[in-house]
Amino acid sequence: MSGPLLSVESISLAFGGLKAVNAFSLSLGRRQLWGLIGPNGAGKTTAFNLLTGVYRPDSGTVSLEGRRLNGLPPHEITAAGLARTFQNIRLFPDLSVLDNVRVACHLDARHGLLAALLRTPRHLAEEKAMEERSRALLSLFGLEERADDDARNLPYGDQRRLEMARALATAPKVLLLDEPAAGMNPREKDELTDLIRGLPARFDIAVLLIEHDMGVVMDLVEGITVLDHGETIAVGAPAAIRRDPKVIEAYLGTGAVDEAVDEAVDEAVEGRA
Amino acid sequence: MEARPGPSAAVTALRGVLPFLVGAFASLLLHFVVAPASGPFATKLVMDAGINVILAVSLNLVNGFTGQFSIGHAGFMAVGGYTAGLVTYYGSMLLWGSPAAHGGFLGGGELLFLAACLAGAAVAALAGLLVGLPSLRLRGDYLAIVTLGFGEILRVLLQRTGDVLPTAAEVRRTPLPELATHVGGALGFTGIPFYTSPFWVGIFVTVMLVVAYRLKSGSHGRSFLAIREDEVAAEAMGIPTTRVKVTAFVLSALFAGLAGGLFAHLVGTTLNPRELGFQKSFDVVIMVVLGGMGSISGAAIAAVILTLLPELLRSFSEYRMILYAALLVVVMIVRPQGLLGLGEIWDVWRPRRKGTGR
Repeated sequence: MSGPLLSVESISLAFGGLKAVNAFSLSLGRRQLWGLIGPNGAGKTTAFNLLTGVYRPDSGTVSLEGRRLNGLPPHEITAAGLARTFQNIRLFPDLSVLDNVRVACHLDARHGLLAALLRTPRHLAEEKAMEERSRALLSLFGLEERADDDARNLPYGDQRRLEMARALATAPKVLLLDEPAAGMNPREKDELTDLIRGLPARFDIAVLLIEHDMGVVMDLVEGITVLDHGETIAVGAPAAIRRDPKVIEAYLGTGAVDEAVDEAVDEAVEGRA
Repeated sequence: MEARPGPSAAVTALRGVLPFLVGAFASLLLHFVVAPASGPFATKLVMDAGINVILAVSLNLVNGFTGQFSIGHAGFMAVGGYTAGLVTYYGSMLLWGSPAAHGGFLGGGELLFLAACLAGAAVAALAGLLVGLPSLRLRGDYLAIVTLGFGEILRVLLQRTGDVLPTAAEVRRTPLPELATHVGGALGFTGIPFYTSPFWVGIFVTVMLVVAYRLKSGSHGRSFLAIREDEVAAEAMGIPTTRVKVTAFVLSALFAGLAGGLFAHLVGTTLNPRELGFQKSFDVVIMVVLGGMGSISGAAIAAVILTLLPELLRSFSEYRMILYAALLVVVMIVRPQGLLGLGEIWDVWRPRRKGTGR
């Protein structure tokens, strides 16, 4: 296969006079892990919302395997192969853990409403396949024991992982993770990092990761795009990004001295430990 | 997914239709054994309760499963009832020269009645599509406003219709489309033959319950529930939310139309615009809220209780709405998710919920 899997070309979005995202570009290859970082309000989640169709870009294009996605409604973008998690967890709280994942398997179902009402063999076979696939995903994320619990009763870290399992159930080609480690303790973060690292090979997907925790990103991704005030201020390998003066300035403000770099690095390393 | 040979496929097919067979058997039993033994008053109550069960469970597809808020269910009931009434009343006039019930059990008259109910359901579903399509594209409370308006507009239109044509000669003289305007106005559509029997109520209740349960335990129904839980997340999981909401709404209107058909042909009720006004819609909403938003058995039980309650408290029936309102307030405080919430009555005996499936 030639060409990138996901290709984002210079998308922009303004809310009135505020340029929330300006000329954002990105190219993701198969099985690539990429990070999207930036200080609060930099436009990271807005960029995600542009990719997934929640907002329509004012200009620019998003295409997946050459197919243009922008302009499509969110559910068609998901069906096309772009799945996401939410920064502020959005599970289906009153449904069981299993059903949360099964809901997202519905794209597998080819039978119509009538087949479901008559319980045709095809309906039963597809329902069984969906349940098996859901249980396999749950066990990968260590949630199989909690399959029958209501999603609302899961501890916070489990809810985050359930969101990832649910997004994967849509069988995406690209997975967008919006701060999956937010609010986790260091040990949980470590486990999560290992899990995310294994995703591209296991599911043959590319992963785009928004993360506040520098330690998590630096350690995980091949490359990073840094946003600040909607502008892309740096693109490159983690090591280069870490030393980039513009990035340090964006994160720590003007006048940040070189020691700040070392501190940031130390903090990141500690964060992982 | 190749078809497995022999008994397994046969067993699957049997399991597919078994609930319908059981329902049909129960309906026959109700019709020929239970009803004759318990007298006309009890039989009428049972039929009232059955019709309310269909109304409550069908409204639950929208208000409970999909989390939208419709308060115009009686409107769809009226669409189905008037359509079915038109077919049987004027159909009987044209076929047999008189609107009186014709033929015995499963005779010609009952077949016309069945066709009329299905026609009523189809027209109600179409009305559901017309109302749902524009209003379900939006999120929030628009549906409540639109369905309320729909019910009221329909009521006013029905009140302005002409008198029912009393003789076969007049019916033959009148062009078919014009017959639709002769449904009795504010006085109601009188003279519709009484075809509704415990058997037919039992059959349609069975279909309603099986459809609702199979929906809930399959991927289509899970999509309904996902929308109720979080519409944004449902959309992000690839669920075409507008289409699914419209599907639920049309299905709900279809069964309301069916209930309307049964209501129109029931002894002791008149099909009139006031009877099927906002008050009736609100009664059904109360059944759903009391029984549990998303609980099939909960809505059904609440429908039965709220049908029998006014009969038990006959002398208070004027104050029914005060009692209902008080009941609602108490439930909202003590148990906001309703009697059964999202669960079913048989879940009560299970310590942990096994998904929404079996």
